[in-house]
Amino acid sequence: MLDRMEGKYDVVVVGGGPAGMGAALGARDSGAERVLILDREPEAGGILWQCIHSGFGLHYFREELTGPEYAERFFEKVIDYEVDLVTNSYVSGISVDSDGTKSVRVMNEEHGMDTVNTKSVVLSMGCRERTRGSIRIPGTRPSGVLPAGLAQKIVNLKGYLPGKRIAILGSGDIGLIMARRLTLEGCKVAGVFEIMPYSNGLTRNVVQCLEDFGIPLHLSTTVAYIHGLDRVEKITVAPVSKDLKPDMSRAWDVKCDTLLLSIGLIPENELSLSLGIQMDVVTGGPRVSSTLETSMPGVFASGNVLHVHDLVDFVTRESLLAGQFAGEWAQGVRRPADNIRLVPGDNVRYCVPHSLSPEREHTIYMRCKEAMMPCRIRVGNLMERKLRFVVPAEMIIFKIKPDLLDKFHGDTLRIDILPAEKGKRHD
Amino acid sequence: MIKAKQYTCIGCPIGCPLQLQHEGKDITEISGYECDRGAKYAKQEFTDPRRDMSTTVEIIGARWKRLPVKVTGPVEKDRVMEAARKIHELRVRAPVKLGQILIEDFLDQKAIHVVSCRTMERID
Repeated sequence: MLDRMEGKYDVVVVGGGPAGMGAALGARDSGAERVLILDREPEAGGILWQCIHSGFGLHYFREELTGPEYAERFFEKVIDYEVDLVTNSYVSGISVDSDGTKSVRVMNEEHGMDTVNTKSVVLSMGCRERTRGSIRIPGTRPSGVLPAGLAQKIVNLKGYLPGKRIAILGSGDIGLIMARRLTLEGCKVAGVFEIMPYSNGLTRNVVQCLEDFGIPLHLSTTVAYIHGLDRVEKITVAPVSKDLKPDMSRAWDVKCDTLLLSIGLIPENELSLSLGIQMDVVTGGPRVSSTLETSMPGVFASGNVLHVHDLVDFVTRESLLAGQFAGEWAQGVRRPADNIRLVPGDNVRYCVPHSLSPEREHTIYMRCKEAMMPCRIRVGNLMERKLRFVVPAEMIIFKIKPDLLDKFHGDTLRIDILPAEKGKRHD
Repeated sequence: MIKAKQYTCIGCPIGCPLQLQHEGKDITEISGYECDRGAKYAKQEFTDPRRDMSTTVEIIGARWKRLPVKVTGPVEKDRVMEAARKIHELRVRAPVKLGQILIEDFLDQKAIHVVSCRTMERID
């Protein structure tokens, strides 16, 4: 496949998941002739191939698809649009020439090292799962402790089961989905343990993946110890106090041979860091302008590498846009720099992009810090919108029209989420 | 005699706690919801609860060992495990096309099939 990676490209896309495929299509739409996707896996499509449950595409296709169906629709388009695709290839670095040309260093199992030149780059490496190391669970270090998404890959692609009796720490959607998945495959799921007093997953998943199968969900409870020498034998779980410390006087043991972790995702930004581009410490992704361009000219970012999304539909939408801007950049278009900084205010954890330009409409993606119901979003003194509720697990998306920004003369626009009525606050 | 059932609405992240009162098969009252979706959901769950269903089956001669499949219509909630066992008896040989019917009229339901969720080429 590497022999297809020839000559100079307009746009090179790093990562062929939903973000990378969207970016490549967006770049072709903008008129860029030569677009290349590099992916480290044997096929493009990313995590979608292993997400065999339905719930994808409701926003983008207006129908409910499984992950593989969503992936295949985009994969077909990538082929139709004559995007070059090189798989089994890992991007190990990018360097920039004085004229702005970027050299992408690629390692391929069969062909070794190579470089490819391009005018612009889209970073779409996605995210990876947090592991045991990120929360330092005490105990021995046996096999059988693994992230839920890795278990998903093992079960749904590789065709074997990670264990027989499963416990799950964390109630993120991947953990809930795997509880059902492993039950359907004949495993016994002993329980899901969540340190927070609420589930981090969708209500639909709590009901259909746990309650339907009688799998207990223990809130305000965490795994305090892992036992077993070669293999997990049991775990000690304990309710937590208000400061989230396990109360060992009320601890109990749960027999299991496998512990799945569904404890969050981290944008995979080693490559971005090696480029020295500016990062947002809250999202864990690059800081981007309203054209989704990072602090390095001609390098764009979209999808979960930028901030972790709830729905692939939103990844697609954002990535089509990033690809369009990367494509026009490659064709010499230089838009005026943004002149409005967007900053998170009350109860706003982050917002993306980090700056705006009054020349076009913008879609803002943001998350709140804590649940609030009912509430209102206030964007500087430009607009205010009522919302029935906000929760940290659900991304808030809204649009700002250019005519509104035209009336704005400051340089910093602050977004706040406030209770609906003065002095009245719901949780 | 009036009996009560509890449901959690799945319509949105609020997750309203729903109460449904019934006398035998007749619903007498639904409460606890903040929007119409809640009432509709409780009624559906009481009268005919169904679930979307997808799983994987063994595939031979392909890049991966498992092929993702789904049932094209919702399956009765009480028959989900039975459906999984039936589907897992399948053993497919590559190549397979996206949408290819693997079991026709699944669980004796007319026009409800088990279909492949992706294309998998033959790899020798």
